[in-house]
Amino acid sequence: MTKPFPASPAHRSPRRHLLDRLATGLIAAGGIGVILAVLAIGAFLAIEVVPSLFSGALGQEQITLSLSPLAWGTLKAAFWALVFAVPMALGAAIHSAVYMSPGLRSRIKPTLELMEALPGVVIGFVAGLVLAPWVERHLAGAFALLLVMPLGILMAGGAWRWLSPALRQRLPLAWAGLWLVPWLAMLGLAALELVPWLEARLFAGDLRGWLDAELGIDYASRNALIVGLAMGFAVMPSVYALAEDALSGVPSSLGEGAQAMGATRWQTLWKVVLPAAAPGVFAAVMIGAGRAVGETMIVLMASGNTALMSLSPLEGMRSMAAGIAIELPEAVAGSDSYRLLILAALLLFLFTFLVNTLAEVVRSRLRRRYRRLGDLS
Amino acid sequence: MSPAALTRRARLPRGEGAWAWLAAGSVALSLLLLGGLLTLIAVRGLAHFWPASVSLVELDDGQVFAGRAVRELPLPAADGASGGRERLYFTGNRDLDGHVWQWVEVDRIVESDRPRELVVMERLRHGDFIGRLVDVRPAGQTGARTAAGGEAAWAALQARLAAVDALRGERDDLQHGVIQPLVRRLEKDPGDGAAQRRLAETNERVRGLQESMRRDVVVLESADGRRLLLTLDEVLRAWRPNAMPLPEKIGAWSRGVWRFLSEGPRAANTAGGVWPAIFGTVLMVMLMSLLVTPFGVLAAVYLNEVAHQGRLTNWVRIAVRNLAGVPSIVYGVFGLGVFVYGIGGSLDEWFFSDELPSPTFGTGGLLWASLTLALLTLPVVIVATEEGLVRIPDHQREGALALGATRLEMLTRVVLPMAVPAMLTGVILAVARAAGEVAPLMLVGVAKLAPQVPVDGEFPFLHLDRKFMHLGYHVYDTAFHGDDIQAAMPVVYATALLLVLVVVVLNLTAIFLRHYFRARHGALSRH
Repeated sequence: MTKPFPASPAHRSPRRHLLDRLATGLIAAGGIGVILAVLAIGAFLAIEVVPSLFSGALGQEQITLSLSPLAWGTLKAAFWALVFAVPMALGAAIHSAVYMSPGLRSRIKPTLELMEALPGVVIGFVAGLVLAPWVERHLAGAFALLLVMPLGILMAGGAWRWLSPALRQRLPLAWAGLWLVPWLAMLGLAALELVPWLEARLFAGDLRGWLDAELGIDYASRNALIVGLAMGFAVMPSVYALAEDALSGVPSSLGEGAQAMGATRWQTLWKVVLPAAAPGVFAAVMIGAGRAVGETMIVLMASGNTALMSLSPLEGMRSMAAGIAIELPEAVAGSDSYRLLILAALLLFLFTFLVNTLAEVVRSRLRRRYRRLGDLS
Repeated sequence: MSPAALTRRARLPRGEGAWAWLAAGSVALSLLLLGGLLTLIAVRGLAHFWPASVSLVELDDGQVFAGRAVRELPLPAADGASGGRERLYFTGNRDLDGHVWQWVEVDRIVESDRPRELVVMERLRHGDFIGRLVDVRPAGQTGARTAAGGEAAWAALQARLAAVDALRGERDDLQHGVIQPLVRRLEKDPGDGAAQRRLAETNERVRGLQESMRRDVVVLESADGRRLLLTLDEVLRAWRPNAMPLPEKIGAWSRGVWRFLSEGPRAANTAGGVWPAIFGTVLMVMLMSLLVTPFGVLAAVYLNEVAHQGRLTNWVRIAVRNLAGVPSIVYGVFGLGVFVYGIGGSLDEWFFSDELPSPTFGTGGLLWASLTLALLTLPVVIVATEEGLVRIPDHQREGALALGATRLEMLTRVVLPMAVPAMLTGVILAVARAAGEVAPLMLVGVAKLAPQVPVDGEFPFLHLDRKFMHLGYHVYDTAFHGDDIQAAMPVVYATALLLVLVVVVLNLTAIFLRHYFRARHGALSRH
């Protein structure tokens, strides 16, 4: 049954309109309230700290003395995390945007998304209590693994060209992300078997002692490399996801043009796709840096929490986030140390917020550019 | 050349150079790392419950001990020569030996076998016992060892342990169900005569139960022949791993898993189960989702449907999105400063001033933790809901309005029902994030050991001011603040596995929902 047009008088009843107005007003008020509450975080931190900065309750010296080791530790941890995460994330993003078969890609993306969701405590626990003691006992083996993995990949690539065409079709580059896994695992195990022998030959069987005696390098069991590896593992998926979005968002007509002129897929990527997507990739790295700076549990559990200011990646450090987590529950509200920790939180907030905003602006510009490029063709 | 051969030739990829392979390798490497981590946690976490065999080891100096081999390492080699290997045994018997671990050089082991009669016993104090069972007898009797021994003693022990377990259950029920509420009632009103009488009666009954639990003693002998007398109420469980066939081991394993999930922790969290932590995590996350869902949806609807789509709204949108990237510890600081010290402190002054200076709401608690995590996950819900709202084609809205619906009707009858899967995705993602988040909780109310679960039979039933236990914090605390980390590791692994499982299952649900939703809407917008 259809109603006659114009609508029946009931539709125009003032009560319904009043209700509508009221509800819209409530939604607006509630929405604005929620958004203000979320945004209040920055305001709260600023209100707690800024007055004491101006009134001189927190001296310049006190701030530099207590915060600079923490700032240093934060940057050091984030740096090493990015050293591990960025090459791996960008490599994975490039591979899955350019080479990977679509079937595999639709499986790999959620898998790495799951990796992003792994709780920091679990990663920190494994890094601090399993990986760190293991690496301490098998220092040479750990370094050998760092070396063997890239070499093993290159070896696989080199050997692949000599395979028979039938085998090559069985093991295509499009699926290399999967079939390289057992190869790498095998290679890693073989390296671990061989290393003690090499270590005995080269470093008198004790690389750690050798490092200490010959190069004067102190090795702390929980150090920046361990933190970097663990946090790199945690940060990598988000960098990967954003970089992959940027790379696969490049209008395909650009790449197709280059390939039609005879470029290999790698040349296309390097000369055409990557320059077009560079801002997006940069934004991905920025967001990764923001993550690494703010990650608490991994640094807390894997870094040893010694407030050192050393350059050596084999020594520990203490980050701002970990410092806050350890000290704030004990600090008396309103005391100097409390304010200092809040100042640290404010710095963290400002840093991550600015970095993320920058990345977001870059990404939205990029999206507009893609749309334009897509329209042109 | 035939056309078929040509196309095959064309499909053969040309060489792409080393970089392409390195890129492929990084995918493989990250999969390898992820797989390795998950396998490690799964294997170690699940192995904790396996009743592993126990060996009786004799060394070349005549020392004999019984223990479970844990792992083996190469000895540091001196000047290039192979230094042999050493093995770590878990030997238990902390009260007899003063330690529970023993490193042994493999070369020094003369004999190692697995006699059936070795007994492993889980005790209330001093951890596990590993050794032989000699006898079970009433406490009064001394001296003359009953001839039975062996299998008969084992059967007697099993029967007696079952009886003691029943008594223990009864005692715990009395303690939780009767004594604790009575004590709390007396705290409020010390003059309550009836309560006092009932308390005395119940205490008497508990004492009686404990007496009957202590009626029997078990006589044990360690591998090197030292005798040990234990009253039966000290023994939680006993098993003979070497005499168990595989099905029985599997049964024992699943019972172990169940106990881990359903019991409370013992021995400073290094043994026992994690039930309070599971309960605390789930309760906190449920409260959080109750808070975050309406507010998140409200904000998203405002941003997408009501607000004027101008530059300001866009900025607000970016800011909200970025708050998802702000470190969780900063939210913790905010929660501590605003909720705990600010609001909680004021609440205490207004309503609970008679209990000051001991704070009620002015300290970390369940409510503040849920609020903080709700704030932390708000951006997730807002972003996900907005994504769902944007995907709804405009002609749906226009159609509703053209038929004479007001905006409210259009929202509630057309737009929101279509956005439900997106909201659900957002909430599940928020829950997954909150379940794994520990850092802010350390500031606003998690506890190492919370004696009272936040929900009980006493008014107001849900105690928002109490501290609670959390799986993630349990991992952190047990792993880092225990005396014997080595002994705590299995529990930590098992807890970590549980946490990972919870988070992974939640995320898989979210991924599935999103997939389903996208597929459905792809079909919708084509029409």
